Amino acid sequence: MTHDDLDRVLSHEEGILPSSSFATSVMDAVRQEAAAPTPIRFPWMRALPGLVATGLAFAWAFLILFKMTRAAAQFSATEARVLALSLPTDIQPTWITLAVLVTAASLAVSVRFASGRS
Amino acid sequence: MQPSRIQIGRTVKDVSVSASQDQADVEKVLAGDISGFDGIVRRWQSPLINLAYRFCRDRGRAEEMAQEAFLRAYRALNQWRKDAAFSTWLFALATNLYRSELRRIPAKMVALEDIAEHISEPRDSRDWDGGLEDRSRDDAIRRAVFALPAKYREVLVVFYFHGRDVTATAQSLSLPEGTVKARLSRGREILRRKLPQLLITLRWREKEA
Repeated sequence: MTHDDLDRVLSHEEGILPSSSFATSVMDAVRQEAAAPTPIRFPWMRALPGLVATGLAFAWAFLILFKMTRAAAQFSATEARVLALSLPTDIQPTWITLAVLVTAASLAVSVRFASGRS
Repeated sequence: MQPSRIQIGRTVKDVSVSASQDQADVEKVLAGDISGFDGIVRRWQSPLINLAYRFCRDRGRAEEMAQEAFLRAYRALNQWRKDAAFSTWLFALATNLYRSELRRIPAKMVALEDIAEHISEPRDSRDWDGGLEDRSRDDAIRRAVFALPAKYREVLVVFYFHGRDVTATAQSLSLPEGTVKARLSRGREILRRKLPQLLITLRWREKEA
């Protein structure tokens, strides 16, 4: 079996005829597609304040983390451990409250957008 | 049901379609007249269905995949940048779709070693009207292509569909021409290595029958 034999056989393959209703069926699908309402675009302008706020929150969190890391470097290992254990008790309620508020706010905004009231 | 057959050996080159006709139809559709798309469908339905058929060997599925390709082309019509022929863009879109469809739901595969078993079964009474050996051998070769690993099979299918045009194959598959040539060479080499044994088995089975 040479390359030429392969070429000859594979080049002369018989094809199939489209069924008689194929073009009609494609055009029906295209018409349906054209009649369907255009998909709603993502409201970038409305989402922008939220995105900016999220970015700022992340930047703030990184800043705090950076400061804490630098502060921890000034203490001995034992002091750092004590500090790390004591910090969450002060911070947790604040963060939990903030997280709940952010969740509630995003939920309210989503429901408002979804119900079409803007 | 046995599909009705036509010779499409030089499908793309034989379809004498002027690029301006395609362009006019596309502009019509983009201007809001959907009927322009009917011309595109009628001109390209046969090549697109046949390309799909070569990928999946199932007439029903080939038509479904071709219909999806036309729908995607309709949705993305404004993305055709006219720097290439409309047919090039359409074939690239369809080939890409067919490849992902077959990755999602693979066609029924037959191992190279098992092809003789399948060929010995007559699929159509017309297959036994003379020219039996040639038909069986050619069928075995085509099925052997189908049993190749996907990356070689895809290149061989598209290459022979485009009348052995490496550039068109590379454009359809969005691959560099060098990669197409390398895969063609490797795919043919695998076929050449496996086919003699396959054909001996086949000949032996025919004598037995």
